[in-house]
Order: sequence, then structure tokens, then C-alpha cells
Amino acid sequence: MKSVPTLSSAFLHPAGQSLPEPLLALRKQRASALVDMPLPTRKTENWKYSSKYLKLADDMAISLPAEGKGGNSLAVPGYKVVFNNGVMIPEASEYPDLNGIIIQSFSDLDEDDAKAVSLQLGSTLDHDQAQFARVNGARFEDGLFIRLAPGAVLDQPLFVIHETTADASGSAYPRIYVEAGANSQMTLVEEYISSGDASALVNTVTEFNLADGANITSIRLNMEGENVQHIGATGVLQQRSSRFESHCVGFGGPLRRHDLQVRLEGEGAETKLNGVVVTQGKQHYDNHTSIDHVAAHCNSEETYRNIAADQSHAIFNGRIHIHQDAQKSNADMNNKNLLLSNGAEIDTKPELEIYADDVKCAHGATIGQLDETSVFYLVSRGIGRRQANVLLTMAFINELVQQIPVEAVRETAQARLNDFFEQTFQEA
Amino acid sequence: MLSIKNLHASVEGKEILKGINLEIKAGEVHAIMGPNGSGKSTLSQVLAGNDAFEVTSGEVTLNGDNLLDLETEERAREGIFLAFQYPVEIPGVSNLQFLRTAVNAMRKHRGEEEMNAAEFMKLAKEVSKQVDLDPAFLKRGVNEGFSGGEKKRNEIMQALLLQPKLAILDETDSGLDIDALKVVSDGVNALRSEDRAILMVTHYQRLLNHIVPDYVHVLAGGKIIKSGGRELALELEEKGYGWLGIKDEDTSN
Ligand SMILES: Nc1ncnc2c1ncn2[C@@H]1O[C@H](COP(=O)(O)OP(=O)(O)OP(=O)(O)O)[C@@H](O)[C@H]1O
Ligand SMILES: [Mg+2]
Repeated sequence: MKSVPTLSSAFLHPAGQSLPEPLLALRKQRASALVDMPLPTRKTENWKYSSKYLKLADDMAISLPAEGKGGNSLAVPGYKVVFNNGVMIPEASEYPDLNGIIIQSFSDLDEDDAKAVSLQLGSTLDHDQAQFARVNGARFEDGLFIRLAPGAVLDQPLFVIHETTADASGSAYPRIYVEAGANSQMTLVEEYISSGDASALVNTVTEFNLADGANITSIRLNMEGENVQHIGATGVLQQRSSRFESHCVGFGGPLRRHDLQVRLEGEGAETKLNGVVVTQGKQHYDNHTSIDHVAAHCNSEETYRNIAADQSHAIFNGRIHIHQDAQKSNADMNNKNLLLSNGAEIDTKPELEIYADDVKCAHGATIGQLDETSVFYLVSRGIGRRQANVLLTMAFINELVQQIPVEAVRETAQARLNDFFEQTFQEA
Repeated sequence: MLSIKNLHASVEGKEILKGINLEIKAGEVHAIMGPNGSGKSTLSQVLAGNDAFEVTSGEVTLNGDNLLDLETEERAREGIFLAFQYPVEIPGVSNLQFLRTAVNAMRKHRGEEEMNAAEFMKLAKEVSKQVDLDPAFLKRGVNEGFSGGEKKRNEIMQALLLQPKLAILDETDSGLDIDALKVVSDGVNALRSEDRAILMVTHYQRLLNHIVPDYVHVLAGGKIIKSGGRELALELEEKGYGWLGIKDEDTSN
């Protein structure tokens, strides 16, 4: 019998020691629990379509050195925090010192805060479903801690730029923890970008812990290069009447995986998850979302769209678990997919587990192609075929792009998507 | 301007057009009438370049150039415009974006500068008034949720914006109320000029009261079986198609 591959021990040695003691201790403890961690294979249910894209070489275990002054970081409106290879670059960051709001790198936390964070870190995630979040827990070099006091409102979006610089092979482990007090509010924009062209692994964890009535908007843009394998997890815990809204826009790569897990633990909590994925060439993207309706009277609304061209491969797996006591749950999940070539593959799977009897749960998934009649209508007006294809492909996701609540991000996303499709239809 | 010689076309292996001959000169208005299923829309779609239809033989030239060699978008840029019998709904592309993209594609082809959003908006508002469509329709998805009559007015609006050489109107009058028929006819009449031709497919003589044709043709069973002046339309209105010797079974393919 063939033995199951395990994570190379090379991945268990963190480099940086700049974290405060409680976090160092936590990391060490988590690393020791990872000895012989099985790597996903085709037979691993939650990785069955994606394991073949995972290529971890030992030289990628090395922590990429944090460098630069965030020279490539984007010009953004609002506040920004720049990370390079998982380590915060204070010189490139600009964020406010507001009453009731703490924005701090893990390295700068005092002993007490570090202790508090170490007790919470990972608490929003089901690590059996997001295995690689464990690796992040054993490897993070730094991180971003945000604490919103009850009632605190961040008046502008906070951009967190996670740049990976891979001039040589290695990996980075970005980490964000947001503790949102009762009725607090903020918008967090995560942008994942890269430079350099050596093969790299980016393994991220972002956590949101929402107290009663907190209102958090999260936007995530995945725009790393073809040399980067990205495995990310986002965990969300929601208490009573809190509201979480997520907009993920992902561009394919050699390996792209995002696990988004939401637990609705307090009555009246609401969550809205939007996602757009585009892949071309031989790219891959795998979104696994999971919504747990634990408490009664919660709403979830999920809309994901995939567009796959050429020989690329996109995957959507949407799990909704309505627990026994979660009466009057309202869950709506919708996944629509557009195949732009016969060689492309899209796999979509709803996973519904419903243990309460008085619930509304709707789900739908479709896979289609560009409508020839629509193409003909456009070209019959003198519009070139390529442009017609781009227009119709953008139209497929337009509704979701328009919902991105920060104008600058919406415009960036729109422009990048447009460029992406112009490239997709280049030869057509 | 347009010359069609012995045109045969089929769809999914079934021959629909069985030898069409038609000459249209600049400045003329031709009406095509004929029973349901006789091939009127097929002819329109073939001229516009819909490759769902296969041209099996025959020849079509536009100002002497072989039209059938051109891609659909090239035909449009050379001045062919088809107002669809069933305009297509395209959610997610705003009508404004669609119209501006089309107008700019044409301008680019003519070597003119593209119009920016503000310039185009001004033009689009004027033209939408001309076809009595509220400018709010510009913001909606292309034909998305438009009523039948609104879709037809949107087609005419496109014709007015694109200023084609040959406008083919496939039942642009059907489904219009009396006022809308007037609006649409005024739009079409505004297009009439010395250097432009119009080919309109219709079932109703009433349209021809508004847009007076130079010629009327009867298309049945994939062929033009009779041509005449506008009085032919009146005769058809009165007598139906029976007197032309078309049996019911022959009218459709
Ligand atoms: N895509 C297609 N597949 C199969 N048959 C088709 C297709 N398109 C048209 N036909 C057939 O071709 C014939 C001619 O259709 P066409 O739409 O040209 O008729 P028409 O004269 O425009 O009729 P109407 O007055 O009802 O609009 C019909 O029998 C129709 O069913
Ligand atoms: Mg017809």
C-alpha cells in the first residue's frame, strides 16, 4: 500500500523570532502538532479536485525574507497597512490612531495583548476543513491585530496589502485577526499581490470575530502571479444581530484555494458572501465556503460566479449546515458558472445539511456558455467579436462587481477583469 | 446598392430560401410580405450574417462587393443594419454601454474619433427622445425587461444612431400600439434618404400607410413569387395570399 504523503518537516521550522513570547509559544506548540500532517490527495474529500495542483517542494519551506519598503504597494484611498512576505512594513503603512481602535502588528503587541490574541487565534476556524490554516498557525512571522471597541467605527476602509516578494523560492504566512466589539463597524480590504518569479507558497489566515451588532465588510482581491500557490482561509464568528459582508474577487493561478467559513452563533445574525473567480490558460481556483447556522433567525445569502477559459479549472463547493436549534433560518446559495472553452472544467457542489425543520433554504447551480444569439446581436451592430465576448463575459459577473462597496476597489477589479478577458479572447 | 441573385440558404440541413432574387437601389424602400414561416426572417438574418444559417448557393453584393464574404461585424460597418424581429435581452450590459460601444466601433471604422461618455450621453438622450423612450432606458440592461414595443423602439434608436446604408426592418411594426407605430414610422422616415435603402418585412398594410414603399414583394415557400408597387399590399390586405396560388401547406417550409 502506498503511504499517504505528509508535510515535509522542512515546513515546521519558523524563522523569525520577533513575536512576543505568548505567540512564539503558541506557534511552537502548533508546529509540534503538525509532525506528519497528511497532505491532501485525490482521495481527500475537500481537496479532491485540487490536490493535483498542490506542489510543495522543500525549498518552498523557507520563509521568504521580509524586504523593501512596500515599494510595489498600491496607491489606495483610505488607510493602509502593508505587509511584505507576511511581515508588516510600518514605513509603508498609514493608519489612524483613533479612539477605541487598535491596529497593530503582532510583533508590537504587549505581553497582555499577545496573550489574549494567542488564546483566540484560530478560534473562528474548523481546521479539519481548512487544514492549511494549521500550517499558518505554526509558521506566521507576524500578523495584523485589529480591535474595535464597542461602538467604534472606522471611518474609512482599511486596505491591507499583502505583497509576496519571491526572488528565490520560499513561503509567506500572512495573518489577520479582527476583534469587532459590539456595534462596531469597519471595512477591511485585503489585496494579495506578488513580485519576483521564484516559486512560492502564500498561506494565509484571516479571522473576524463579531460581537453583538458588529458590522464588518470584507473585500478580498487575489491577484498574485503565476509563480505563487495561494492557500487561504477566512474564519468568521458572528454573534447576535451582527452583519458580515464579503466580496471575493479571485484571478486564477497554478494553485488557488480559499476556504471561507462563517458561523452564525447569535440570533438575527446576517451574512452575505459574494464571490467572483476567473481562470484561463492552465490556471486553477478552488473556493470552499461553509456557513453554519447555529442560532435561530439568521440569514445567509451567497452568490458565487466562476468563469473558466482555455484548459483552466474552477471549483466551487458551498456547504450550508443548519443546526438543530437554528429554526427560522433563511439560507440562499447560488452558483453560476460560465465555461468559455470546451477544454475548461468547472466543478460545483452544494452540500446541504439541514437538521432544523422550520427553515428556508434555497440553492441553485448552473453551468453555461456564452449565448450565441447575444454575440450575434452585438456583432450585428458593428462591435468586434472579441469585444462582444468581453462585454458578455463581464455581463455575467457585472451584478457582483457592482456590489463591491468601495469605489476604488470596484474600479480596480473591473479594470483587471476586463484586461483578463481581453487576454482570454485575444486569439478568438 | 444591394443585389441578391438566386440565394439559397438552409438551417440544420433544411432548405428555407430557395432562390431569392432582389435588387435594391439607393433611396428605395422595399416591403416584403408573406405568410408565417415563409423565410422572411431567414432572409434578414442571412443578410446580416447569422451563421446559424448556411448559404448553399447564390450571390449577394453590397455596392458591388461580395457581402457573403464578410463577417457580421464587417457587414454592419459597411452599413447593413438589421432591426430584429425578436431583439435580444442582455442583462449585465447596460443599453448605454452597448450603444456607445457600437457607435464607437463604427466611428473607429470610419477613422473618426471615438465619443467620450459625456458626448455620447448627450447624443443618446436626443435620439431616445426621438423614439419616445425615456432616457432611463439607457441605464437598464440591453432590452432587459423591455416591453415588446419598447424593444422595437430601441431597435429604431440603434438605427438612428448607427445611420446604416441599408436598414432591414424585420416586423418592426408588430406589437406596436397606434402611437408607437407613428413614432417608429417617423423614425424610419427620418432615415429615408437618397443614399440609403430600406427593406422592411411586415404583415400589415397599415405600416405602409406611414412608410410608403416603392416596391412590395411577396415571399412564399422561400421564393419571391410576386412583386409590384404599393398597390400590391392593398390587394393582399383585401384578398389574402390565396389568390396568388399559395396553398396553405406551401406557405411554410
Ligand atoms: N434555427 C432554426 N432551426 C430550425 N428551423 C428554423 C430555424 N430558424 C428558422 N427555421 C424555420 O425556417 C422557416 C422560416 O422561418 P422564418 O423565421 O424565416 O419565417 P418568417 O417568414 O420570418 O415567419 P414569421 O412571419 O412568422 O416571422 C420556418 O419553418 C422556421 O421554423
Ligand atoms: Mg419572421
